[in-house]
Amino acid sequence: MRFKLSVLTCAMGLAMYANAGAATDIEKLKAEVDDLKQQVESAAEWKKPITLVHLAGFASVGYTDTKSEPGTFNTGSFSPILHYQFNESVMLEAELEFATDEGGNSDASIEYMTIDLFMNDYAALVVGKFLSPLGQFRQNMHPSWINKMASAPVGFGHDQAASNAEVGAMVRGGFPMSGIYANYAAYLGNGPTLEADAGEIEKIESPGVNKDGDGKKVGGGRFGLYFPNQKLDLGISAATGKVAVRSLSGATYTYDDPRDYDVLGADFIWHINTLDLRGEYTKQKYGAQASSSAPDAGAWEAWYVQAAYGFGGAKWEAVVRYSEYDTPQDSKDRNQSMVGLNYLFASNVIGKVDYEFNDNPNAGLTADDRLLLQLAYGF
Amino acid sequence: MKFKTEILYKTMLAATFIAATVMSSATMANEKQSGDFGRGAKAWVDNCGRCHNVRDPKELRDDQWISTAFHMRLRAGLTGQQTRDILTFLQGSN
Ligand code: HEC
Repeated sequence: MRFKLSVLTCAMGLAMYANAGAATDIEKLKAEVDDLKQQVESAAEWKKPITLVHLAGFASVGYTDTKSEPGTFNTGSFSPILHYQFNESVMLEAELEFATDEGGNSDASIEYMTIDLFMNDYAALVVGKFLSPLGQFRQNMHPSWINKMASAPVGFGHDQAASNAEVGAMVRGGFPMSGIYANYAAYLGNGPTLEADAGEIEKIESPGVNKDGDGKKVGGGRFGLYFPNQKLDLGISAATGKVAVRSLSGATYTYDDPRDYDVLGADFIWHINTLDLRGEYTKQKYGAQASSSAPDAGAWEAWYVQAAYGFGGAKWEAVVRYSEYDTPQDSKDRNQSMVGLNYLFASNVIGKVDYEFNDNPNAGLTADDRLLLQLAYGF
Repeated sequence: MKFKTEILYKTMLAATFIAATVMSSATMANEKQSGDFGRGAKAWVDNCGRCHNVRDPKELRDDQWISTAFHMRLRAGLTGQQTRDILTFLQGSN
């Protein structure tokens, strides 16, 4: 009997011990599950944050050898892009540009800075300083890792034939149309200004001016169609309004009487297997203004076509480009043929070797050829 | 004539802002459809090599793809639905 009793006590003791063990195991498991839950929740925070800060951008470094000058190393621009996004409804985008000049001094500028409201699935309101939506090169090809050549086509640089930036309001978006995608951008802005010297218009400046000096807005936009089966992008652009000659007297700007201003443009991108074809035409023109210090009307016109062929498992690209730039000032006119070879360290890190054959088509004027080496990085 | 253009511009400006407000409040009323991986893969193939070399989905983290997708929505003129589809594809492939 005593023996039986002690066996029973032992068995009960063991059972209690085992039970206690099972309870701690379950508690441990529960704690682990809770911990995992928390980890999943914090990982999900990264996937769907309410406020998001993001840094992107691009930069380039290089070497330029101009025919009549000694070769020189140079840094291109360093252009960080900042994104601050609130939910799926608001985004601030800003691109800064840091560039170093011949004397080694650096300056910073705002390439664009807008607050974008995503109004619905087909339209966003973009307000602030934005890259001109006219054409493709200035807004979409200028980053060094996107441009397949180390320089812009003639006429498509800052303050040349292609409109650069605008301060104003823009509505842009897209909508599907039976297998084709339509996209559009329409804006109203302060417009460019004209710079004159010795009775002639020197350039049409469109850096995105922060004051509408002539009191007349410029409005316009681009309408594009994308055919996904053909991988073909087509676009037309137009803008109209008034501009005026701006002069600096002392520390203040003064403006001549406004005159007509119109822009026309067309662009395409076409991919056939690894062949990438693109081209663009643009023309900015202003009317005559008898009361102005530079009274004549004028037109600044440029176009380019480019073919890039990818080979070697998408590691290499051979590129050819032709561009023309025609202005009321003979010394600025250019015809340019260019050949280049690119090595893609990655899709966003590109080494370029290019040769520019430059020519001024006007009698008695010349332009130097250049060899350009560039390493571009988009991040 | 001068007066007329002035009025035209101001009307355009006012119309833009009114359209913006109306459209954004209309959207809030409509529940948006969430992103779809399969449709996103197709839209990504169709659209993401139009302007520049295709960027590998593995290059960026989920959160980085969000602002990039919205940035590209503006650049490429994508619809909100295409953007959500492409984002779902990119976040599911990195
Ligand atoms: C209409 C031309 C265009 C199309 C189409 C396009 N991109 Fe871009 N992409 C750009 C430009 C231009 C930049 C450089 C940003 C700038 O300068 O503002 C860029 C930059 C980027 C970057 C660098 C990060 C950043 O936000 O700047 C990534 C990544 C990217 N694009 C991915 C994509 C993806 C994914 C798609 C498809 C949805 C796409 N792109 C479609 C023009 C385009």
